[in-house]
Amino acid sequence: MAAGFKTAEPLEYHRSFLKENCRPDGRELAEFRTTTLNIGSISTADGSALVKVGNTTVICGIKAELTNPTVEAPSKGYIVPNVDLPPLCSSRFRPGPPGEQAQAASQFIADVIESSDVIQTEDLCIERGKLCWVLYCDIMCLDYDGNLLDACIIALLAALKNTQLPEVTIKPEACTPEVNLEKRNGLLIHKHPVGTSFCVFDNSILIVDPTAEEEGLSSAHFTVVTDEGDRLCSVHKPGGTALSGEKLQECISRATARQREIQKLIDKVIQSVKAAE
Amino acid sequence: MEECGDTNITLREFGCEQSLLSRPDGSSSFMQGDTSVLAGVYGPAEVKVSKEIYDRATLEVVIQPKVGLSSVRERLQEQSVRETCEAALLASLHPRSSLTLVLQLLHDDGSLLSCYLNAACMALMDAGLPMSCLFCGVTCAVNAEGQIITDPSAAQEKESRALMTFAVESTEHRVIMSSTRGSFSVHELQQCIAVSQKASEKIFQFYRDSVRRRYSKIL
Amino acid sequence: MYSCFKDKIGEVLLPGDEFSFETDETISLTDTVKAEKVVCGPGLRRNGDQVLVCKSGVLRHKQPNMFWIDSQQRRYVPAKGESVIGIVTAKSGDVFKVDVGGSEQATLSYLAFEGATKRNRPNVQVGDLVFCQFIIANKDMEPELVCIDSAGRANGMGVFGAGGFLFRVSLGLVRRLLAPRSDIISDLEKLLPCELVVGMNGRVWVKAGSVQQTLVVANLLESCENMTAPQRQALFRRVAQGAL
Repeated sequence: MAAGFKTAEPLEYHRSFLKENCRPDGRELAEFRTTTLNIGSISTADGSALVKVGNTTVICGIKAELTNPTVEAPSKGYIVPNVDLPPLCSSRFRPGPPGEQAQAASQFIADVIESSDVIQTEDLCIERGKLCWVLYCDIMCLDYDGNLLDACIIALLAALKNTQLPEVTIKPEACTPEVNLEKRNGLLIHKHPVGTSFCVFDNSILIVDPTAEEEGLSSAHFTVVTDEGDRLCSVHKPGGTALSGEKLQECISRATARQREIQKLIDKVIQSVKAAE
Repeated sequence: MEECGDTNITLREFGCEQSLLSRPDGSSSFMQGDTSVLAGVYGPAEVKVSKEIYDRATLEVVIQPKVGLSSVRERLQEQSVRETCEAALLASLHPRSSLTLVLQLLHDDGSLLSCYLNAACMALMDAGLPMSCLFCGVTCAVNAEGQIITDPSAAQEKESRALMTFAVESTEHRVIMSSTRGSFSVHELQQCIAVSQKASEKIFQFYRDSVRRRYSKIL
Repeated sequence: MYSCFKDKIGEVLLPGDEFSFETDETISLTDTVKAEKVVCGPGLRRNGDQVLVCKSGVLRHKQPNMFWIDSQQRRYVPAKGESVIGIVTAKSGDVFKVDVGGSEQATLSYLAFEGATKRNRPNVQVGDLVFCQFIIANKDMEPELVCIDSAGRANGMGVFGAGGFLFRVSLGLVRRLLAPRSDIISDLEKLLPCELVVGMNGRVWVKAGSVQQTLVVANLLESCENMTAPQRQALFRRVAQGAL
C-alpha cells in the first residue's frame, strides 16, 4: 500500500516522513549516506578513484600529458575536468553529446579547482613557455542516485592525491624531453575542498545529501564547497526558492563538519594503500 | 563606481530599453556601465512533445557569446539564469507550452551574470508573462584588502580575490541564486549578501522608473 | 479594502506588488458593515487574503468593482468568449485545425457553421481566414472554436478574406480599436472607407477600394501603436491632404 501511495503522491509521501524529522530511507535530515572510497583501481591511468555515496557511484581517472603551455600563462600547466553522465547511470540521460547537466557540472568542477587552489598550476610547469603537464580528469557517473556534485569532488580530490607523475628531464643538447616512467612523484595537494549538497523542501525543510527522488521533488537545491581552513570555495545555488541567512549558516556549519570527515576518510584510504604496497 | 562604506553603495550607470525588437514577444536591452546585454523572449509557444511538461511551461535559456560558439561556461550560466527565472515565473499558468529566452552578449566589462539576470527580468516583464515577483542580479567582488566592491568592472574582477553574484527577489529581498568564484570566509559571504540586498533596492527602483517611462506614452 | 486599490488606479505596477486587505482595527457597532467584493481581471491574482500583481502595466478600474492591469503584450493567450481571426492549417477527420497565434492550434468542428450538417459540409479550404469565437479556452485543454453563436446563427462569423490584407498588431492596440467609440476608428472612417475585421489575437484584416488604399490603411494602423492622440491626428491629416 505504501508503494501505491508513493507512486501516486510522491510529494505527500515524502512530506509525511519529513514531519517526523526523518526520511524514507531511515536517515535523519542532516545525515549523509555511507561513503566508500577506493583508489588506484584503474592501472592504466596516472591516478584514479572510485567513490560511492549511498547508491551514487562516480569514478574519476586522471591522465597526464605533455603539452605547450598557453600563451596567456606560460609558466602554468592546466587541469581539464570533464563530467560524463552516460545513459548507463540513469534512464533520464540519453545517448549523444553531453547534456546541460553534464556540461554545467564540468564547468562547476573547473571553477572549484580554480577557486580552491587544490593544485598550484605552477607545479605542473616543466619548462617555462615550452613544456608543461596537462591533467585530463575524466569523471564518469556509473550510477546516478542524487548528489552528483559532492561525489565528483570527492572522486577528483582522491584521484589527484593518488596521481603519480613521471619525472621529466630535458636534455640540453637534444632539446627533447625524456620521460622516466619508473621514477614517479606524487602531486602536491595544497587544499582539500569537499562539497556538501542540500535540498530545500516546501521553502523551509532542509535535507542533506538528497537522493535522486528527493532532488526531483525539492523546491531548491544548492552545494557548499569548503576547505580545511574553514574557507568557502563555492556557494552554488542555481535558483529555486529563496533561502534565509540562518539556514545558510546552519548549512555552512554542516559542510565544515563534513569536510573533516571526508578528509579523514581520504587520508585513511591512502595510508592503507601505502601500507599494503 | 565601486566602494561600499556602511550605507553608501554605488553602482555603475544603468540603462534599459524594452520592446526594441519587432520579432520576439518581449525584448529588452540592459547596460551596466560598459557591460551590455540584449534579451529576447518567445512564448508561450508550441513545444516539442519530447520536451513538454504536463503541468508547467518549459523554459529554455540560450546564451550567445560575442564571438564564437557557446561553450561549457555558458551552460553553467544558462542553468543559473533558467532556474532563477523558473522561481519567479508562474509557469503553471501555461502548461505544455514553451518559453524561450535568448541572451546575446554585446559587450563584457564585468558583472556579466548579473547583467544577464537583469536583462532577462526586464524581457520577461515586457513579454507579459505572469510572474510572482521580480528578481535582479548583483555582483560583489572582494579585493585583496578585504573591501567589498559592488558591480565591479572587468579590471576590478581580475584583481579580486573572490567574486560573488546573487539574484535577489523583490518581495522580501531574499537570495534566490548564488554563484561564486574564489575562496572567501563565511563573514565575507554574509557581508556580501547584506550589501547585495541593499543594492537590489536601487535596482528595483530603476526597474520601476523604466517601466513607468515606457507606459507614460499611453497614460 | 477597495480603498487601497483606489489610490493606485492609473499607476504603473510591477509584478510582485501586493494589496493586502487589512480589516480596520475598530469596527463600529452601530454602522452596518457592507461586504465589499472586488473582481480581479487580467494581471491580478488572488492569494488567500491578498491580491498580487503578476504583470507589469497600468491599473485600471471599471464601476462598480472591477480592477485589472492594462499591459502591452504581443503574444495571444486564448480566453473563452473572445473573437479571433484564425488561419485554417489542416483538415483532419471531423475538425479543422486553426492557427490562432497561441501556444497550440485550436480545433473548429465541421458542424460549427451556420446551416452545416453531416451531409452539407462547409466550404472551407486550408489557408482560409475564419472569424470565430472560443467556446473552450483554458490552460488544461485544447482550445475549441465555433463560427456560430448560441442561437445557431453566424452573426458575422465564418470564412472571409478574399481581396484583403492581414497583418499583426499588439494586443493593446486591438483593445483600443475594439473599445466603444474608439478614436482611431472614427478618424479612420473620415479618412478612407474600408472594411475592417479585428481579431482579439492581434490580427487585423483590411480591405479598401484599391490595393494601394488597403496598404495605406494597414500602414496607418501599424504605426498608431506608438503614437499619442495628437501625433496620430496630425498623421491622418497629412495623409488626407497628401499622398493618396
